[in-house]
Amino acid sequence: MHFPKSRKGQRMPRFAAHPYVKENNLRSIERNTKITVPSPKRGRKSSSNKKKHRGRLISAGYLLPSAVGVLLFFVLPFLIVVYYSMIDNPISAQFVLFDNFVMVFQNAAFIQAAKNTFTFSVSAVPLAVVLSLFLAMMLESKIPFQSQFRTFFLSPMMVPIASVVLIWQVLFHFNGMMNELRSIFDLDKIDWLNSGYAQVVIVILFLWKNLGYNMILFMAALSSIPKDILEVAILESASPFQVFIHIKLRYISSTILFVTIMSLINSFKVFREIYLLKGDYPYDTMYMLQHFMNNTFSRLDYQKMSAAAIMMAIVMVIIIGILFLTENYFGKDVEG
Amino acid sequence: MKTIEKMCQKARRKGILRVIIMSLVTVTLMASLFGCGKSDTAPEEEKDGLIYVPEYQKLAFEARYISQLAPAGDEAYMAAMVEDKENEGYKTVVYQYNLLENTAKELSIADLDGDVNVNAFLISGDGNLVMVVNQYQYEEDENGEIVDSSMTMELRRISVDDGTVINSQDLANVVDRIENSYIQYLCEDGQGNLYLCDGDQGIHIVDKDFNKLCDISLDDWVDGMAASKEGDVYIATYNENGMVLKKVDVAAKKLGEAVEGIEDVFGNVGYYPSVSKSLIQSSSNQLKLIDLETGTSEELFNWMDVDIDGNNIEIVGELSDGRIWTISREYSEEGDQYELVYLTRKKASEVPQKEEIVYGALWLDTLTRRAIIDFNKSNDQYHISVKEYGNDFDGSQVAQFNADLTSQNCPDLIGLTSLDFSQYASKGVLEDMYPYMEKSGLDKGDYLENVLKAFEQDGKLYGIVSQFYITSTLAKESLVGEENGWTLSEMLDFVEKNNPENVFMYGSRDSIFRYCIYNNIDEFIDWETGKCFFEGEEFIRTLEFAAKFPEEVDYNQEEEGISARLRSNKVLLMENTVSSVQEYQMMNGLFGEKVTYIGYPNSERKGNLIQSSGGSFGISAKSKHKEGAWEFVESVISKEYQDSLVEDNYGWGFPIRKEALEKQFENDMTPEYYEDEEGNKVESSKTTWGYDDFQMEIMAATQEDVDAVRGLLTSADRLSGNVDTQLTNIITEEAEPFFKGQKSAADAAGVIQNRIQIYVNENR
Amino acid sequence: MKQRFGRIKKIDEISLERWEMEVKRKKRWRLRKKAVGVTLKTMAAACFAVLFLLPILLTITNSFMSASEISSNYGQVFATNDSGGKVYIAETVNLKFIPDMVSFSQYITVLLKSPEYLFKFWNSVILVVPIVVFQLLVAAGASFGFTRYRGRMKEIIFFVYIILMLMPYQVTLVPNYLVSDWLHILDTNWAIWLPGIFSPFAVYLLTKYMRRIPISVMEAAQIDGAGEWQIFRHICMPLCKGAMCSIAILIFIDYWNMVEQPLILLADEQKHPLSVFLSKINAGEIGLAFAVATIYMVPPILVFLYGEDYLVEGITYQGGIKG
Repeated sequence: MHFPKSRKGQRMPRFAAHPYVKENNLRSIERNTKITVPSPKRGRKSSSNKKKHRGRLISAGYLLPSAVGVLLFFVLPFLIVVYYSMIDNPISAQFVLFDNFVMVFQNAAFIQAAKNTFTFSVSAVPLAVVLSLFLAMMLESKIPFQSQFRTFFLSPMMVPIASVVLIWQVLFHFNGMMNELRSIFDLDKIDWLNSGYAQVVIVILFLWKNLGYNMILFMAALSSIPKDILEVAILESASPFQVFIHIKLRYISSTILFVTIMSLINSFKVFREIYLLKGDYPYDTMYMLQHFMNNTFSRLDYQKMSAAAIMMAIVMVIIIGILFLTENYFGKDVEG
Repeated sequence: MKTIEKMCQKARRKGILRVIIMSLVTVTLMASLFGCGKSDTAPEEEKDGLIYVPEYQKLAFEARYISQLAPAGDEAYMAAMVEDKENEGYKTVVYQYNLLENTAKELSIADLDGDVNVNAFLISGDGNLVMVVNQYQYEEDENGEIVDSSMTMELRRISVDDGTVINSQDLANVVDRIENSYIQYLCEDGQGNLYLCDGDQGIHIVDKDFNKLCDISLDDWVDGMAASKEGDVYIATYNENGMVLKKVDVAAKKLGEAVEGIEDVFGNVGYYPSVSKSLIQSSSNQLKLIDLETGTSEELFNWMDVDIDGNNIEIVGELSDGRIWTISREYSEEGDQYELVYLTRKKASEVPQKEEIVYGALWLDTLTRRAIIDFNKSNDQYHISVKEYGNDFDGSQVAQFNADLTSQNCPDLIGLTSLDFSQYASKGVLEDMYPYMEKSGLDKGDYLENVLKAFEQDGKLYGIVSQFYITSTLAKESLVGEENGWTLSEMLDFVEKNNPENVFMYGSRDSIFRYCIYNNIDEFIDWETGKCFFEGEEFIRTLEFAAKFPEEVDYNQEEEGISARLRSNKVLLMENTVSSVQEYQMMNGLFGEKVTYIGYPNSERKGNLIQSSGGSFGISAKSKHKEGAWEFVESVISKEYQDSLVEDNYGWGFPIRKEALEKQFENDMTPEYYEDEEGNKVESSKTTWGYDDFQMEIMAATQEDVDAVRGLLTSADRLSGNVDTQLTNIITEEAEPFFKGQKSAADAAGVIQNRIQIYVNENR
Repeated sequence: MKQRFGRIKKIDEISLERWEMEVKRKKRWRLRKKAVGVTLKTMAAACFAVLFLLPILLTITNSFMSASEISSNYGQVFATNDSGGKVYIAETVNLKFIPDMVSFSQYITVLLKSPEYLFKFWNSVILVVPIVVFQLLVAAGASFGFTRYRGRMKEIIFFVYIILMLMPYQVTLVPNYLVSDWLHILDTNWAIWLPGIFSPFAVYLLTKYMRRIPISVMEAAQIDGAGEWQIFRHICMPLCKGAMCSIAILIFIDYWNMVEQPLILLADEQKHPLSVFLSKINAGEIGLAFAVATIYMVPPILVFLYGEDYLVEGITYQGGIKG
């Protein structure tokens, strides 16, 4: 067995950074391979099918450990959640079918939580996408200390949540820095965390934490846009705006969707910060679905928690489905 | 090699820093894998299937109490107070106890009669007894009053063979201020030096000829002292890390650093010499062997598992045949009951297995501990093991408890104290106990209906107590009238009319919240409609009221006594309990006139609350051993047990069974007499009760007193609320800006309303 | 290009020259404009960078304050009431960068006086490192499985993975407790390790990356006679090295900050990681919070510095949710 190409690949992980180069490279490997094995396909269809079947099985084998683990620690728990959502309570476990869903749907706290989670995600996620794209464009234009800036923007990822919360409290406390700043301009104090502004504070916290990573994703995508296309566009006197809309956006559309997904995941994680800021029952504009689940869990109302979780899952399936379709629609022509 | 080459290449490329970082990461990774391996193997060693089996023996002699115990191999020496038939009193006798055969031999020791007490003693390395004896001398005048008293304390070395004193030393020569000292611990190190310790004053060290070597002063109270197998003497004290062991360093004349690796322990802690390791450590919960060389401790067993109350342990030792012996002492009115217990290691399979019942509670109180041990000893079918979840603030213990309740880990018996009873009852966690009562032939009518009712929901009995008391608030009847209860506005009107600065003896903001809000939080929440009233007038009024109180009470402020302040109406209200008729009697004396137990404000004007004393019990609805769990519950409400609570005067509060309660009242009303010089029977005081600077001799209760207490006991029908700390935290947190003058009361109330509204919505 | 221009030159020299000059002028103008833009952008980036760096700096510098200085600055913000609830009160709050007097008292307490912090730190390492290593291994296999021979079944499974990945873990925490109980791994590190190791997160990211390796590469190797293992080992793994490093960083940071799982699944506080302790520290030992936080940040920063390049290049190939 002779494997020059793969070794080559092993030695050049760095090429992975530039898909264009790498793809070309690999294509040449492919060409070589074809030469070394003459007429590979014709006349051996049945055996190749068999081989394919075997490969299918083997590849499924690779999937197996993960699948078993996921089944045990994620699917099974989820099924238990489904079960809980249909019983009256975890102790007596009487089957009630959809009563819990009706009950939870009429629960004022759940509605509040769903509304808050929705508004938070709808405002924070697009902001995270747009702002990080903006940052990425800014850094992309060959400014000095580019890599240092990149590191700085990523730094919030590393700060432990407890410290983040600590600092946020110092900033947004009723007597905190923000209000001191306002008092310089003779403005009234705002109780940031106990008023309608609470969600704004949380959005800022979320952006601060997540912009860096999103930005990196975008920078990577921007750098992978074929340079010749951009050059041609400039030569064709396209305005930067046109370049942005018609070329860049198009090429990074799949990244945008990816960033959206990642931001969505992270937007659910903001609960921990809110929790550490204000405990189980924060001001009502900060009250998220996770609060609802967390609290109902600690009060043994598993059925409420489960029903809420399942509704959340359904909404999630719909959103992901839409994103899938959107990507299929937009992303195809550039991805190849 | 290749990796090193690669690293070098990388070093050139990325700089040394990266390499350092990488190697650091590699080291931690490898170390962590090593760590994993270690943590995996540990539990396997414990599961060797061996358990300790107890064997209970009576002591070979009878004594009123044993004052001193000193182990010496397979023997022990005990100094006991035994009845002196000749002089119709008690005298100290020293026994040489053969532990292997459970026999005792009385030693005749010189100079041990009269008013001599043995404070401490041990078996010296030379085989003789070393003891500290004190003698109390006094002279009486004609009236029998003591006019002159003195105390001497002596260190003696006594021959075991003939009981003669070999050597003695007046401790006044060793200990400064001997009159204030009481030698609690006596130890001997490998060189034969003796260490005398008197609580917190100091450790005094003498050599084997009783010549003083040095004193070591102490900062903390000494909770134990013992000589290790290695021949060093250690003391146990509490510091910020809990209980720690420190070596007494004679050469340096000070205490060493705390020994590392010794875990914190609680309760009745004692240290005893060990044969196999350095020291034996006994706490209320477990028995451990401490190895000082490696700084490790090994748990031998949990006292509960061998049916011994760890709080009663007097001494523990190891025998040469591998058994462990211990003497436990149970307090009772007629003299202490001693039990000698041998613990033998056996294979679990050789021991007849009982059905296991799990008692789950946040913590195990002493009364329940005793009841469970009694149950385990007497029941052949069931054995109760205890699972304590811990009693910290962060709520994770309750979360654990709840998670267990829904899983197969569910405890069979549930200790409801400090848990949300009504939540568990309404969620179906608990089993209705009325059918069990019926099956066992127990009549509901034999028990206080109002207390049962407090544990009822929809006519089902979800919990029960064996003993309870009432928490209430007291005020003069002349000020508040006869009725036991008032509403919050009435209460606020009342204090506004009077001087609000001194409503309570020690009023802090938190106590005002507790008084006005937490104990009747349902007044502010309408669970039917889900409306909250924290923005309402009453709550804002309460906030403003609380603002007049200090944040923290200064207990040190110089004031006249509480009784005087109550009598002159400087203090109007007093939170207190009704736990005995005597307490009721004292309160009337304290106030100087009739007291109304007005209780906590509540719209129904029923402010007295039932509080369990020593465990309230429920049976888990998911339990597989409901019958066994019920057998335990039955045992604590049985006639025998309830009567014993009264007879032994055990616990605190009133029994729930009417008959026992009446017996208690009868006892309370029975006067006690003494004979004066002329031979007349004169009623004497039963006991003395005090509060703050006030003291009162309590005579037999009158029918009126008893009727009043009975009235209080039978009228309370609410359990003392376990208000969710979530709510109290929200209130204290958001009220703070108002107290600090940053926000108006209405604004603060608005935020409270907002946050609690979510809580309420969620739970509907 | 030269060739192309060369050809044009023959046809119309004058217009070409003019065109070229036009292009050059445009370029120069653009360059000048660009120079101004770059300075503006640098300044803006610097502003952002300061905002982003502030908390880290604050944490580190404040860790060199003595406990008394901390409580005089923030003590008012974080006071604890008797029942353990947090009370936030403040007359004045000083956000200070430079300590009045540099003091190592926090570090001395954390590192020398009370070994429990180091012990908890060690717990964190023991809990997180195996998760990172084995989650990557499992995910590598799974991603390979997802990448080779894509079929309808696998697409559905992959979709399920995505949904599970998006579930907030409050949802699965209780069932996880039940499953752990059932497997008798409750109160052991396995209760944290196993769900962590099989988390779909890494599978999702890695699959996304792997699927962008042209199928033809693998097919070519296959035709060459390579077995699935060789394809996996010698083609996929080397190509995914960067991606795996970047994912490792993400997983590490995620689990390094876990709080809820240990609280529920490990009853024994001795086993709790430092993150759990840190989340409570605001209510208690505020004087130590900054030093503990700084020590706590060290591993993520090390991992990050070491893997930053990988993080960037590893991400390059990600993008798109379906791939």
